[in-house]
Amino acid sequence: MAGNHSTSEHQGGRHKVEGPQKHIIAYIFSLVLTLLAFTMVAAGEINTMFTYILLLVMAGIQVYIQMAFWMHMKDRGHMYATVGILTGVFVVFTMVVMAEYWVWW
Amino acid sequence: MSAHTHVDGQLPHEPEKATLEGRNKVLGFWLFLGGETVLFGTLFAAFLALRNQVGDGNPTSQELFDLGLVGLATFILLTSSLTSVFSIQAMHKNQVKPMLIWLAVTVLLGASFLGLEIYEFFHYVHMGHGYTTSAFSSSFYTLVGFHGAHVAFGVTWITILIFQVLKKGLNTVTAPKLYVAGMYWHFIDVVWVFIFTVVYLMGKVA
Amino acid sequence: MAHGHTVKRYSGLMDWLTTVDHKKIGILYLIAGGFFFLLGGLEAILIRLQLWKPLNDFVSPDTYNELLTMHGTTMIFLAAMPLLFALMNAIVPLQIGARDVAFPFVNALGFWTFFFGGVLLNVSWFTGGAPDAGWTSYVPLASTTYSQNHGVDYYVLGLQISGIGSLIGGINFLVTIINMRAPGMSFMRMPMFTWTAFITSALILFAFPALTVGLAALMFDRLFSANFFEVANGGNVVLWEHIFWIFGHPEVYILILPAFGIISEVISTFARKRLFGYSSMVFATMLIGFLGFMVWAHHMFTTGLGPIANSLFSIATMLIAVPTGIKIFNWLFTMWGGSIRFTAANLFAVGFVPTFVMGGVTGVMLAAAPADFQYHDSYFVVAHFHYVIVGGLVMGIFAGLHYWWPKMFGRILNEGLGKLTFWTFFIGFHLTFFVQHFLGLLGMQRRIYTYQDGLDFNLMNLISTVGAILMGIGTIVFLVNVVVTWAKPKNAANDPWEDGRTLEWSIPSPAPEYNFVQTPLVRGYDALWKEKMDGNKGMTPAEPIGPIHMPSPSILPFVMSLGLFVTGLGLMYNFVFAGIGLLITFGCMFLRSVFDDHGFHIEPEELQDKGVKA
Repeated sequence: MAGNHSTSEHQGGRHKVEGPQKHIIAYIFSLVLTLLAFTMVAAGEINTMFTYILLLVMAGIQVYIQMAFWMHMKDRGHMYATVGILTGVFVVFTMVVMAEYWVWW
Repeated sequence: MSAHTHVDGQLPHEPEKATLEGRNKVLGFWLFLGGETVLFGTLFAAFLALRNQVGDGNPTSQELFDLGLVGLATFILLTSSLTSVFSIQAMHKNQVKPMLIWLAVTVLLGASFLGLEIYEFFHYVHMGHGYTTSAFSSSFYTLVGFHGAHVAFGVTWITILIFQVLKKGLNTVTAPKLYVAGMYWHFIDVVWVFIFTVVYLMGKVA
Repeated sequence: MAHGHTVKRYSGLMDWLTTVDHKKIGILYLIAGGFFFLLGGLEAILIRLQLWKPLNDFVSPDTYNELLTMHGTTMIFLAAMPLLFALMNAIVPLQIGARDVAFPFVNALGFWTFFFGGVLLNVSWFTGGAPDAGWTSYVPLASTTYSQNHGVDYYVLGLQISGIGSLIGGINFLVTIINMRAPGMSFMRMPMFTWTAFITSALILFAFPALTVGLAALMFDRLFSANFFEVANGGNVVLWEHIFWIFGHPEVYILILPAFGIISEVISTFARKRLFGYSSMVFATMLIGFLGFMVWAHHMFTTGLGPIANSLFSIATMLIAVPTGIKIFNWLFTMWGGSIRFTAANLFAVGFVPTFVMGGVTGVMLAAAPADFQYHDSYFVVAHFHYVIVGGLVMGIFAGLHYWWPKMFGRILNEGLGKLTFWTFFIGFHLTFFVQHFLGLLGMQRRIYTYQDGLDFNLMNLISTVGAILMGIGTIVFLVNVVVTWAKPKNAANDPWEDGRTLEWSIPSPAPEYNFVQTPLVRGYDALWKEKMDGNKGMTPAEPIGPIHMPSPSILPFVMSLGLFVTGLGLMYNFVFAGIGLLITFGCMFLRSVFDDHGFHIEPEELQDKGVKA
């Protein structure tokens, strides 16, 4: 396993080394969201638009969890990283609008 | 910038950020991921625009996609993202052997994902869903294929890094490479979340 | 203590093929970009020669289509962008007090991929036909149904390879500017040229991936029978336009923003006056960059998107005029009350201002969607974009070259020849393109190889051709200037204009290999000017003298790019070669990963003795 199961360790009294707990919780959340999404579709009886929206919301939450925890985006020193990704997301948003409304009519 | 391998005989706390070169690499890679977001976003946009252009007599997404297979592949890739987190945590604790083991597990899981995907594609071709069949099929294979190519590149890259660390050890020169490879691996799992949601799940719904 | 690395130094040609020094890479970009500028200019002269009279047969219609396609593609991708990268490479690290860019190896890779992409594109002239579907390569014209020879394949592959170079250049400058500024240089103390380089790099990062996907999709359609744009199998041709212009519109801001930065530097230096409204300049640049991603469909008003889309894009497009106008007024207010010196550089900068405004106002005219239904695909559009690109960007480049030539080469370009360059080019430019507004309004379409007699087009086309020849003469005068200056001794001062405001003028001309003996301490905006006004002779160092770590030269960027070139040819003619090319490229990446570059050190004893403070 990845080291001890204690929440934090001190090395030479200089810094905390994080344990694996937060990341395992993030994993479980991701797994649950994924399972929910798959079962919702497999069950098949739910209204289409509602399904789409819920699927996208769950995907968004899962992506946030993975980027915030596994990629440390919510930790300090990640401002440029966040701005960079959000700018990319903004550009993609304009492209999705394009694809949905301005390609077929 | 000289490669100080250790300070006071110890590897610095966040060895990937201990040198200017390391910090540059990490920031540069984040920005590259911003660009990759737009790259995959454009592929998604093309897929979204063409997803209904199936053509007469060709299999639809409802007929093609097997949620069990896709679910298994998703589980494998998600787990591989977790194991890569563990490898970086071991790196931060200067535990080289556990780090390498977690990296190897990540590689194996990634290779399994690829194997499943190749099998999946062969299956679709047999069902009449080839690359040149329709606009839907071309955009499907291009989007999912680009992702698969990224996984293949990552698997190769991490394997090369494993051998490098075995040879050179963990220091402030090899640490940024490992950290950046970990970032890359997480990112392709993030992209996969959107692929399984938008392509497979939304494709399976009416 | 220096590490015992053997110092790998090359000389002559190998020095240039292996360099990772931003200053040399800047010169490489200048030479290659300059060469392609001449090529694109030749293509323009041939176009104008064909059009000087009605029903001319100087070139065939097919050749004409190749000329217009290559002219646009070459000028935008192989001339304008590289010339801007030349100045960015040469100057930005100096302006922020850094010793190089963040990724010197990748910087070299960016140059060589651009170069080989450009070479690949032009190989097409010799192998059965250059691309001929316009620089915008619309489908279905660009599909295999209507473009059977390899021309469009060269377009797709050449630009794809070149585009890699641009993208990595963008990332490089972003990281350099974020992480490597000298102590005391906060973001709001950076020179305007560095600011515009920064925003431009962000635009490159987010715009080029869209082009990558578009080109890949077109390539897959053409080479592997994909159906992205194959209407019979469910494809959609408007999709190409969207993807292309989502890249294409930010691209034109990529072209103009660095020019804006140059103008800010040149005007304030030669007015001996601080740039007026610095904060609003920074903010305006950011706004232009941001809005640049929201206006792409103004190139598509006539495709049938509908009134809602057309209105949204019309308004967004007109909005960009606001921050641009802020910049124009700030330049005017900078000059007002200043002590103005009309050097050649400043002539280009001052000439830029009214010319760009003319291009800008026709842009607002085009932005009105209903009016655009009349202007679209006419010479009115051609006039507009040449006013902003040539009257704007190219004049900006000439200004920057004259201004920074001593910093790059240690010699000042001849002022008399520089002024002659300006006047011939400026007059020639307006002759060529002013009349084209009226040709467009009279109904002359663009991209046609000839026109009928008796339509009142004749005289204006003749004037336009005369203007083009005059621009050619202006360019030749500039080349003569370069040659004549080359023969002079390298004796320019650190601050040859004597009114330098920014850090690059605090070091020798040309800059030494390591740029700064000691990283300077920045105490305000216009860092050098501040020291001058406080009575100091130069910058205060921010660190003691010590060994300077330099990155090692490498042949890998050259070989990697050659591999991509081979891949490009292979994808068209023989897949075995495509495989070999990829093997070469990935093999080099492998080598680069496995064999770390520890660089080498320049010891204090080796440093030149110019104003070194202990």
